[in-house]
Amino acid sequence: MIHFLKASLHEGLLNIREKLGSFLVTLLMVSLSFMVFDIFLVVSWNVGTVLSDEQESVGIELFLREDISEVEAVNLADLISVMEGVRSVYYVSSLEAEAVFRADLPEQADLLILLGPQFHLPSSIQISLHPDYRTSGKVSGLARTVSGMDGVKDVVYGQEYLPGLTSAVDMMGKLVVLAGLVLAISLSLIVANTVRLAVAKRALTVEIMSIVGAPGWFVRMPFLGEGLVTGIIGSAGSLLLTGVISSILSSSIPHDFLPGKWILLVLLLGASAGAAGSWIGMRSGIPKPRS
Amino acid sequence: MLISFQNVSRFYNDWPALENIELTVEPGEFLVISGPSGAGKTTLFRLIWMGDLPTSGLVEVSGYRSDRIRKGDLSSLRRKLGIVFQDFRLLSERTVFDNVALPLQVAGYSPRAVRKRVFSLLAEMELNHRRSSYPHELSGGEQQRVAIARAMVAHPVILLADEPTGNLDPDVSKHVIELLLEINRTGTAVILATHDPRQIPAGTARYLYLDRGHLANPVSWDGYNQL
Ligand SMILES: Nc1ncnc2c1ncn2[C@@H]1O[C@H](COP(=O)(O)OP(=O)(O)O)[C@@H](O)[C@H]1O
Ligand SMILES: [Mg+2]
Repeated sequence: MIHFLKASLHEGLLNIREKLGSFLVTLLMVSLSFMVFDIFLVVSWNVGTVLSDEQESVGIELFLREDISEVEAVNLADLISVMEGVRSVYYVSSLEAEAVFRADLPEQADLLILLGPQFHLPSSIQISLHPDYRTSGKVSGLARTVSGMDGVKDVVYGQEYLPGLTSAVDMMGKLVVLAGLVLAISLSLIVANTVRLAVAKRALTVEIMSIVGAPGWFVRMPFLGEGLVTGIIGSAGSLLLTGVISSILSSSIPHDFLPGKWILLVLLLGASAGAAGSWIGMRSGIPKPRS
Repeated sequence: MLISFQNVSRFYNDWPALENIELTVEPGEFLVISGPSGAGKTTLFRLIWMGDLPTSGLVEVSGYRSDRIRKGDLSSLRRKLGIVFQDFRLLSERTVFDNVALPLQVAGYSPRAVRKRVFSLLAEMELNHRRSSYPHELSGGEQQRVAIARAMVAHPVILLADEPTGNLDPDVSKHVIELLLEINRTGTAVILATHDPRQIPAGTARYLYLDRGHLANPVSWDGYNQL
C-alpha cells in the first residue's frame, strides 16, 4: 500500500512539474482572491471584537425608590436572580454608589457635597444577562417585567443603541459567511478549470493508466492532490500576504490579526474548495477509456 | 476457457459494429482476427478489456462478466491483460524504463521488485541499452517492442495486439510477429488483429475473419488472397 501511495504521489509531482508555470499562475490567482477575503475577515474580526465588547456590557440597571430598605432590596434582587435569562444580579447600595462615583469621577466629587447631606444617589440592582438574552427584544421584554415590580423607580438599559448593535453583529456574521461562500465557489471554479486542462493534457496518461490496471483512485489522486495543494498553498499564501500588510498598517491603524481558529478556518476553506474544484474538473475531464 | 462471447452485439447508434458474435478463446491459444478497416476488430478488443460493454449478449473474460462487472473490478481484470496498439501509445514524457514499469507501479509493487522485473524483461527483449531513452528517440520497431514489454511486464494471461504492425516496415513487422509467437510459446494466449494474416505461418494459429461486424469461422487461405 505504501508503494501504491508513493507511486501516486510521484504521478502528482509529474503532473505539477509538467506545467509548473500555469500551476504558479493558478496559485497566485487563488492567493489574491483569498487575500481580499482575508482582509475582509480582519476588518470584520476587529469590528466584531468591538461590537461584542459592547454587547458583553449589555445589562439592565434597576434604580430603586429611596424608601426601599436594604432587606427589601436584597429580597428583590433574589427574586430577579432566578428569572429566565438572568446570569447574575448585584445590589448596589446608595453608599456604594457614592463611593463608586467618587472613585470614577474624583473631580466631580464636590458635586455630592454641594447637593447637601440629604441627597443620596439611588440604590440600584445591576442585572447581567446570559449571552442569549443580550438581544434587543429579550432585553426590553425583561426590562418591562422588572419595571413593574414593587419598589422600582426606573429601569435603564441600552434602549438607544441595542437594536442597532444586535443587527450589526448579525449582519457581520452573515456577510462573512456569504463572502466565504462566494470565495469558495469561485475558487472551486478556478481549480476545476485548471484540473480540467491538466486532465486534457494528460488524457493519454489517464487512459493508459486505466488500461494497464490502475485503480480509479490511483488515476484520480494526483489531480485531487493538485487541487488540494492549490487550495492550501493558495490560502496560506494569502494569509501571509495579508499578515504582512496587517503588520505594516498596525502602527497607523491599531488592530489585531486573525485569531488561530480563523486562520485554520481559512486554510480549511481553501483545502475544501480546492478538493471540490478538482472533483468538478475531473468529472467533466476524465473520459471513459476509448481506443 | 479464457474468453467467451455469447451472442454479442455492439451498436453505435443504429450501426452494428459487431453483431451476434459467438467466440471462445482457450488459455495459451494464438488467435488471429483479420478483416478490413471498420470490420469491428478494435471494438471486439475493447469489449474484451471492457473499455466498452456489449449492447446485447454476454462477454466473459477470465471470470469477469460484462453484465456484472463493477468499476472497481476493471483494474483487476486489466491486470490479467496486456494490450498493444497500432500507434504504440507510449507516454512521451517518460523513459523506456518508466513506460515499461507503469503497470507494476500502478499495481503497488515495491520499487525494488519493479526494477528487478523491468531490467530482466528489457534485457530479454534486447532493449536494455534503451532504458533511459524517451519514446521519440526510438525507431518505430523499438517503440512497439517497448509497448509489448509494457504489455507483458505484469505477466498477463492474455495479450491483445490490435494491428501492432500497422505502422511498421515489413522486416520490422516480422520481428514483432516473431516476438508475439515467442510470447505465445511461453503460455500466454495471444489475440492478434491484423490486415494481413499471412504474417502468421499457417498451422501455428487459429484464424477468424471479421467483416462488417460478422465473424466468419474458419476461413480459407484463398479467401485472404482475394483481400
Ligand atoms: N465510439 C464509436 N462511436 C461510433 N462508431 C464507432 C465507435 N467505435 C467504432 N465505431 C464504428 O464501428 C465500426 C467498427 O470499428 P472498429 O472496431 O474500429 O473497426 P476496425 O478496428 O476493424 O477497423 C466502424 O464502422 C466504426 O466507425
Ligand atoms: Mg482498429
